[in-house]
Amino acid sequence: MLKMTHLSKVYRTEVVETYALRDFNIDVKEGEFVAVTGPSGSGKTTFLTIAGLLETFSGGEYHLDGIEVSNLNDNARSKIRNEKIGFIFQAFNLIPDLNVFDNIEVPLRYRGMKAAERKQRIMDSLERVGLASRAKHYPAELSGGQQQRVAIARALAGSPRLLLADEPTGNLDTQMARGVMELLEDIHREGATIVMVTHDPELAARAQRNVHIIDGQVVELSEDPRFHTVHAAAGDAHA
Amino acid sequence: MKLHPILAALRKHKAGTVLIALQIALTLAIVCNAVFIIGQRVERVNRPTGLDESNLFLVSQQWVGAPSADNADGVEKLDAMQREDLAALRQLPGVAAVAPTNSLPLLNSSWTGSVSHKPGADLGGKGDIRTAYYFTDEQALSTLGLRLVAGRNFNAGDVQHQGFRDQRDRPVAIISKALADKLFPDGNAVGKVMYSDGSNAPTTIIGVVARLQIPSIGSWGSSFAWYSTLIPTRLDGGFARYAVRTKPGQLDAVMRAVAPALYKVTPMRVLDDDSVKPFSEIRAKAYRADIGMAVLMGVICLILLCVTAAGIVGLTSFWVGQRHRQIGVRRALGARKIDILHYFQIENLLIAGVGVVLGVVLAVGLNMWLMTHYEMTRIPLLYVVTGVLAMLAIGQGAVFVPARRASNVPPVEATRAA
Ligand SMILES: Nc1ncnc2c1ncn2[C@@H]1O[C@H](COP(=O)(O)OP(=O)(O)OP(=O)(O)O)[C@@H](O)[C@H]1O
Ligand SMILES: [Mg+2]
Repeated sequence: MLKMTHLSKVYRTEVVETYALRDFNIDVKEGEFVAVTGPSGSGKTTFLTIAGLLETFSGGEYHLDGIEVSNLNDNARSKIRNEKIGFIFQAFNLIPDLNVFDNIEVPLRYRGMKAAERKQRIMDSLERVGLASRAKHYPAELSGGQQQRVAIARALAGSPRLLLADEPTGNLDTQMARGVMELLEDIHREGATIVMVTHDPELAARAQRNVHIIDGQVVELSEDPRFHTVHAAAGDAHA
Repeated sequence: MKLHPILAALRKHKAGTVLIALQIALTLAIVCNAVFIIGQRVERVNRPTGLDESNLFLVSQQWVGAPSADNADGVEKLDAMQREDLAALRQLPGVAAVAPTNSLPLLNSSWTGSVSHKPGADLGGKGDIRTAYYFTDEQALSTLGLRLVAGRNFNAGDVQHQGFRDQRDRPVAIISKALADKLFPDGNAVGKVMYSDGSNAPTTIIGVVARLQIPSIGSWGSSFAWYSTLIPTRLDGGFARYAVRTKPGQLDAVMRAVAPALYKVTPMRVLDDDSVKPFSEIRAKAYRADIGMAVLMGVICLILLCVTAAGIVGLTSFWVGQRHRQIGVRRALGARKIDILHYFQIENLLIAGVGVVLGVVLAVGLNMWLMTHYEMTRIPLLYVVTGVLAMLAIGQGAVFVPARRASNVPPVEATRAA
């Protein structure tokens, strides 16, 4: 689904060159749920923005769903973002001027979908995140957890194959974080590929695979099923 | 297609939206009316007098110690002096024709009266038609370049003279086509008679010229602006005016030769810089206020349009800055650059649309107010429609630069901290 080889990303300013990613290799299979962890400034967000075609990279190769993306023009990249990728941001990033319904509608309109289908999908995805009754509310009238669920509904409405989440629970308390995590696990069970950046080891442990990034490079910690089980059990014990 | 979410977002930005819409409405109302007024002025300034204005100039001069025009003897002496001047001017090389005249179109000096079908009619009574007289001689038509459309020109035998304050019968006259049509709507004015200024003596119309404006361009003369009457009579007084037509290209040379020639006839006269004037100067002076007014209004319109355009640029730039992050989010969610560009363009079209609708109402209202308080006619639809289209175009032009800046916000903005 998502394969990066020897990928590098350099941020150039007048004085310094920062390698946000260097010789970065990762291969996320279709249907996987990968948690990305790492210290602050290690390059997690950078990786996600490149993976989500929000940004270009400096060197190496990136195949998304079998397509080498570095040759795509801006419009083609927009189309892929719109149709294949769902984004969930730490800061929710709902559009404050629009109510919940209109927010979820944004990516569907860019896809040129008919009004009836848009409405159906919006209501379905709101149902999914348990906010069907809040369709007419504005983001400012919702709690952080509710806003993040709207953001997830927005990402879901387009039925993306790949869901990219950058610290989706970073701004939420434990209770709300757990709700969001359960939602992601549901979505994963239905076949979506999920890549989630998180600082929370408990949440990371609930993913199928953990990828650790240090200084812009991947360090695979564990693909050991036992490691996974232990942490999952610990999580259950907490709940 | 994408109207609903744009409208929804605008509801959250009421103040700016309303202000810009109002600004557009006011600008449209004022500019429409101002351009209409300018258009009217331009039309007024450009209307032909009926004269062939090129190669035409006017001499206005005064004798010093001239005989009195109040007695017959003085009038005869004055007439002799005038005929001497005319002869001297007609002999100048480069001169095509010379005619004495009390005034010319666009000159701020006129002799007006009224003509009627009946003898002895009350001045200003019903059935009277106002007219302005040009007292001149048989060279009037060739000097002024008037086009005879019916009848005949004056001949030397038609020409009389009188003291400028005297009354004298007017056996013949040439009138303008407009006056002829007014007097005799069935046509064929030539050979018919009219009575001028309440006289009992008939005036036979011997000719009709295509067009001849009266001297006054003020609003009081506007009801009879084209009703002119040419009387073949030299007016004798201490003051005389001569219209001179030169051969093509000789205007300047002849104008320079006028003063020496007239001084040679007699030095006892006043001729200053203002005494010899090309017709172009008379025209420029007559319409100076109109042109000044039109230019002033044009400048005001330009300023208004610039301020409105600047307002749109300012507000849109502000909104682009404010929505920087949500633009990034939209890009992340799949908006192409062109979608973002269109968003701001459509948004502007909506605001400007409301503005112009309101502006049309205001423009018509302002026009109606001007009609009741000033001399103003109904504004033609064309001006309003053109104004609306121009306003919308200015809106789109003004919004383009900030909108393009918005479309260049990279999608990665969505991930930047709030
Ligand atoms: N636009 C940019 N210009 C310059 N340097 C940047 C830019 N974005 C990121 N960097 C640098 O790239 C490196 C990786 O940043 P990144 O945001 O990917 O870290 P992160 O792992 O997401 O950190 P955190 O956990 O704090 O969110 C950092 O050193 C950062 O300073
Ligand atoms: Mg980050």
